[in-house]
Amino acid sequence: MTAGAPPAPAERLRVRLTVNGAAVEREVEARRSLADFLREDLALTGTHVGCEHGVCGACTVLIDGRSARSCLLLAVQLEGARVTTIEGLTPADGLSPLQEAFRACHAMQCGFCTPGMIVASTELLAATPAPDEAGIREALAGNLCMCTGYVNIVRAVAQAAVRLAVPAP
Amino acid sequence: MKPAPFRYARPATAAEAVALLASSPGEAKLLAGGQSLVPLLNMRLARPSLLVDLNGARELERIDPAPDGGLRLGALVRHADLAAAPLVRERAPLLAEAARHVGHTAIRNRGTLGGSLAHADPAAELPAALLALDATLGLLGPRGMRRVAAAEFFRGLLVTALVEDELLAEVTVPAAPRGWGFMEIARRPGDFALAGVAASLDGRHHARVVGFGVADRPVRLRAAEVVVTAAPRDVATPARAGAAAAADCDPATDVHASAEYRRHLATVLTEDALRQAVGRLGS
Amino acid sequence: MSETAAGWVGVALPLKEDARLVAGRGRFLDDLGRPHLLHAAMLRSPHAHARIVRLDASEAAAMPGVLAVLTGAEAAARSGPIRPLIPTTAAVPDHCLAVDRVRYVGEPLAAVAAVDRATAEDALERIRVEYEPLPAVVDPEAAMRADAPLLYPALGTNVVWHDTLTYGDVDRAVARADGVLRERFTIQRYASTPLETFGAIAEYDAGTDAFEFWTNDQRPGLTISILAASLGVPQSRIRLHCPDIGGAFGNKRRPAYLLVCALLARAAGRPVKWIEDRIENLTALMHACNGIMDVELAYRADGTLLALLVRDVADEGKNLLTPTQHNLIKLGNIVNGYRIPAVRYEAWSVLTNKCPSGANRGIGKPFMCFAVERAMALLARRLGLDPAELRRRNYVTADQMPYTTPPGAQYDSGDYPATLERALERFDYAGWRAEQARARAEGRLLGIGIATSVEPAGTNLASYELVTGRRAASGSAEAAMVRVEPDGHVRVSLGDPSSGQGYETVVAQIVADELGVTPDGVSVARGFDSATTPWLYLSGNYSNKFSVTDVGAVVGAAARVRAKLLRIAVHRLEIDVTDLELRDGAAVVRGAPDRRLAIAELARTAYADVLGLPPGVDPGLEAHHIHQNPLAQPVDADRRVRSQLVFANAAHCCLVEIDPRTGRITLRKYVVMHDCGRELNPLIVEGMVHGSTVHGIGAALLEEFRYDETGQLLTSTFMDYLKPTAADVPTIEVDRLEHPSPVTPLGAKGVGEGGSIPGPAAVANAVEDALAHLGVVVRSLPITPEQVWRWLTKA
Repeated sequence: MTAGAPPAPAERLRVRLTVNGAAVEREVEARRSLADFLREDLALTGTHVGCEHGVCGACTVLIDGRSARSCLLLAVQLEGARVTTIEGLTPADGLSPLQEAFRACHAMQCGFCTPGMIVASTELLAATPAPDEAGIREALAGNLCMCTGYVNIVRAVAQAAVRLAVPAP
Repeated sequence: MKPAPFRYARPATAAEAVALLASSPGEAKLLAGGQSLVPLLNMRLARPSLLVDLNGARELERIDPAPDGGLRLGALVRHADLAAAPLVRERAPLLAEAARHVGHTAIRNRGTLGGSLAHADPAAELPAALLALDATLGLLGPRGMRRVAAAEFFRGLLVTALVEDELLAEVTVPAAPRGWGFMEIARRPGDFALAGVAASLDGRHHARVVGFGVADRPVRLRAAEVVVTAAPRDVATPARAGAAAAADCDPATDVHASAEYRRHLATVLTEDALRQAVGRLGS
Repeated sequence: MSETAAGWVGVALPLKEDARLVAGRGRFLDDLGRPHLLHAAMLRSPHAHARIVRLDASEAAAMPGVLAVLTGAEAAARSGPIRPLIPTTAAVPDHCLAVDRVRYVGEPLAAVAAVDRATAEDALERIRVEYEPLPAVVDPEAAMRADAPLLYPALGTNVVWHDTLTYGDVDRAVARADGVLRERFTIQRYASTPLETFGAIAEYDAGTDAFEFWTNDQRPGLTISILAASLGVPQSRIRLHCPDIGGAFGNKRRPAYLLVCALLARAAGRPVKWIEDRIENLTALMHACNGIMDVELAYRADGTLLALLVRDVADEGKNLLTPTQHNLIKLGNIVNGYRIPAVRYEAWSVLTNKCPSGANRGIGKPFMCFAVERAMALLARRLGLDPAELRRRNYVTADQMPYTTPPGAQYDSGDYPATLERALERFDYAGWRAEQARARAEGRLLGIGIATSVEPAGTNLASYELVTGRRAASGSAEAAMVRVEPDGHVRVSLGDPSSGQGYETVVAQIVADELGVTPDGVSVARGFDSATTPWLYLSGNYSNKFSVTDVGAVVGAAARVRAKLLRIAVHRLEIDVTDLELRDGAAVVRGAPDRRLAIAELARTAYADVLGLPPGVDPGLEAHHIHQNPLAQPVDADRRVRSQLVFANAAHCCLVEIDPRTGRITLRKYVVMHDCGRELNPLIVEGMVHGSTVHGIGAALLEEFRYDETGQLLTSTFMDYLKPTAADVPTIEVDRLEHPSPVTPLGAKGVGEGGSIPGPAAVANAVEDALAHLGVVVRSLPITPEQVWRWLTKA
C-alpha cells in the first residue's frame, strides 16, 4: 500500500497471505477481522469467536509462528503473513500427537475453546518442551474454558510433552 | 461487535505515517499491536475515520545498544521481544521483566512498546518501568523528532504529550543501575494490575520507585525514594519506604478495587520491589 | 479400548466427539450458513427503565444493505406474547421486543437484518429513539416496598410470588431448641457464560407458511411450543435443528430471540442469522438470581438439628418467563443432606430492572447450599464441634434411604457420612489441621473448608403448581429412537441436544451393551432435529436429567429393538429365546458360538426379505421409547412435591492460603468425593466434576455482575466479569463412592451440576476457617482479596 489517499470505508482492499501453507488472495473491507475472514471468507470455521475483545482466546491462531488473537487483527493487516489455524495443525489423516493427547485425556467437553487451546499449547511446547504444571497453567491462562475446569487440558499438554520428547523410532 | 467503518492505510515508513496523521487531523488513529485499540474499535468506543497501520514501518522494530550502555528501542518492538531479547535482559532487565507481565503470550506477541506508552493506561507496566529507568521518548511529527523525558510524557488518565500529528517512534533508555525490582498484583495472572511498583536503584544516591495503578499515570513515589536514598542498604529501608509510599498515591476506585486497597497494595509492593532491588545490588 | 466382561457402560471410553472437536471440525451455529443469509443486530436499551416515547427506524431501513427492520410495535402486531413457563398472577404481555417500555439495560427494542453484521450494526446507529427515563429499581428489597417503581403497573407489585410453606411443627421445634443460629447471607449475580454465545438462524418458507430454525437452544421442546404459539403456526410447521452446542449450563434459551429472527426472515424473504456478541451475552441473556437469605437453624446442645427456617428473596431481574424457579428448586433441596424434621420456607420472587434470571447451572441450589453449609460451619464453631462431626450427627444415613424430606424430596440412596469420611481421608484432614496450626504459628494463614451437598437430577414440572395453583405441565420425560439400519449399523436419536456432555459416546455405550455391538457400531445423531428426532415438550437439556431420564428412553428403545432382533433370530434359528444372546454383533446360540446370525443378516430379514419375518412381526428394526421418571408426582395436599427426582451427593474439602499482607486467596488443594451412582462413562463424569467445581470456585472468588444504583451493568465484558483461568484453580482431585440409584434404569444419577452446588460454600468455609481467629464471618460472595484485607485490618 502506498501513502496516497486512503481508500473509502466500504472499498474492498486486496490482501495476499498464506493460510495453512496455501496462498490466498481476497478482497475485504478494511474493518473485517482476521477471525471473520478465516471463518467466512475462507470457510475455516475451526477458529472460534468468543468475545471479540481479546480476552477469551477462542480465536487464537499462529501468525508467522506466534500466537495472536485473530479477533484483534484486521484481515488487511496480514499482507504477506503466514497464518496457521487449527486446520493447519491437523494432519491430513488422523490427529497430531498433541491432539491425540487431548482426545485421550478428554481435555474438552463442548470443544469451543479447543482450537485456541491447541494453538496456545503448540506454541508453549515449541518454546518449552518440558513444561511443569505451573508453567502449563500460566501459558494457558489466556485461554478460557467454561467446561473442563482445565484439569484434563493440563494433563493432556503434559502428556503431549512426554510423547513429543520421545524420539521417533 | 463490529467496528464502525474506517479508511485504512498502511504506510511503509514512520514519516509516511506522520503525513497520513496530518492529513486527517483529529480523525486518524494509529494501529500498532492493536491489543488495546481493536477492542475499542469493536465496541465502537473509538471511531476513527482513518486507521493508519504502523506495522509496515519496519524501521521501528529495532533494538539497538546505545553507546552509554543503555538501549535504543523502536516503538514497534513487541512485548514478547522486549521480554526475551538478550540485549534488553542484560541492559534493562527491569524493562524485560515488566514486559513479561503484560497480558498473556498472544497479547505480548502483538502488543508494542510504543502502543503501550501512547495508550498510557495508568495500570500498565511499561510506562512505569520506563519512568523508573529515566527513559526518553522520541516523538516524530511533521517537523521532525522531538525528545520528551518519560517524566513529562505521561500527562494524565490516558493522556500523553503526543499531539495529534505525532507518533511515538522510539525510546531511549540510559544505562540502568544494578538494583531493580518489579512487583504487581492483579486479580488473575495477566490481568491489568490493581497496583504495581517498578524500582530502580544504584545503592547510593539514585533511587526511582514508580507506582502504577495507583494514580492517573505512572507516578514517582518520591517519599519512598527519599527513604531509600537516605539508607539504601539498610535492612529496614524497604518496609519504611513502603510505609511512605502511600503518600504519593492517588488511586481510583473501580469495580476491581477501591482506592484505599490500592494504596495499601502500593505499600506492600514497594517494600517487596525494594527488597528485590537491594538483593540485586550485590556487595 | 476393549470392553470388560460387564460391557461398555462403565468404561472410560474416549469420546467420539472429541476427535472432531480437537481438529476444529465441530459444527457450531455460527459455522452454519443458508443461501442468501442475512445477519441481524439488535438495538438495546441504554436505560434500566424507560418509556419509549418515539422510535423512528426509517433511516435505518433505507440504508443500502439493510433488508428488514423490526420494531417492538411491529413485533407485537405480528406475533403473540411469549407464553411463560410459570405465569404471573395477572397476564402481562411480553413480546420478543420491548414495545412501549424498556425494563433493563440491554433489553432489545428493535432489530435489523442486513447483508452482514457490520452493516446491521451501522444501521442500528440510524434508529432514532426518544426515551423518557423512569425511576429504576435495582435492589430486590427496595423492589418489594410498596412505594417501589413498578416494572409492570398491571401487576400492582414487583413481587411475583410471596408465600410461606411450612412442613412439620416448626414453632414447637424452635421452642424446644437449646439454641437458634440466625444469620443473613447474600449472593451475587453470576452465570456460567458458555464460551459459545447464544443465537439462531431463522428461515421462512412463504410457500408452506412454515419456519425453520437452527439454534443452540438447549430446550427445544419448550422453545418450539413458544415459537408456535407466538408465530401463530402449528408446531408441525416449525422445524428446529440444534448443531453442536458450545456449552449451555442452563443459559442457552431465549425464545424471544428466535422470534425476532423469524419475523425478520419473514419480512426480508431471506434467512436471518443472529449470534449474540459477548457484551450482549453478559448484559442481557441470563444471570443466576442474586438474593438474600435469612436462615434460622434451631438445634439441641449436642448439635442435633431441629428446624430450619428460611426467608428467601430471589432477585429475578426482568424475568417473566420462569420467575420463582430458583425459589422452588431451593425449597426442594432445602435440608441438604440432613435430617431436619421441621422446615419453614418463606419465598419472595421479585422483579427488578436488571437482566432476566434463569436456570443457570444449579438453579438456586448453590445459594441454598451456601446458606445451609455456612450455617453448619458457624454452628459447629458455636458448639465447639468439629464441622465434620456436626454434620455426621445430622446426616440422613444410608439405612434411612429412601428418605423423604419435609418438603417432599425423596433421597433414593447414598451414604452421606461415608462420603464425608472418604473425602476427609483423601484430603488428609488431620494432617492439614496439624499443618494449619504449625503455619499459624509462623504467621501463615491456612484454611480448610468442608461443604457437602445433595446433587439432584431431573425436574418435575408439577412443582410449579406450588406457585400457580394449577398444574399446566408436570413430570420429567424424554424420548429416544434406536434403529438398526439395513446394513446392521445402529443409529440412535435423542430428544436432548448435547452441549459437551458426550451423549454421542455414552449413548453408544448404552446401546452397544443392549444390542451386543460395539460403540463404533452405533452412531448417535448430533444435536437435534424436530423433524427426525423423537421429542416431547419436556425434551431438552436441563436439571441434570440425562442420566436419570434420557438414559431410560435410550435403554427402553434399545430394549425394544433387542427384543425384535431376538424374535427374528428365534424364528430363523428355530431355537428358544433363552438359548440366545446378543453379543459380538450377532445373535449367538449359547454354548454353540458357530450358530449365529449377524445383526446385518437379521436386518436383511427385517428390511429386505420381509416374508422371512415371524408371523405378527412388522418389517423394520426401529423403536421409539419415552421414559417417564417414575418418581415424578403431583403436589400433594400438604404442598409436598418431588420437584427434583434422583439424588447424587458429594463432599468437597479444600485448602486455601491467605496472604496476610494483601488478602490474596490461593486455593492450594481441592478434593471432591462424589457419588453419582453408576458412572456410565467415568471420563465424562470426572470432567463434569472438574468443570462444575470450577464454576463453584468462580462464583466464590471471582465472578460478579455488578450494577450501579441506576441499573447500569458495570461488568459487561470479560475484562471486568472475571472467569477462572487455568492459573486460578488447582487440579481438582476426584474420587468416588458408588451407590447406584434404585430408581433409574442403569442406576446412574445426575452429575452435571455437581460441584457448582457445594463449591461456593466449600471455598467460603475455607476462607472463614483461615480467618477464624479474627472472628470473621463470610456472609456474601464473591470473596475478594480486598474484602479479606478489610477483615484482616479491622481485627
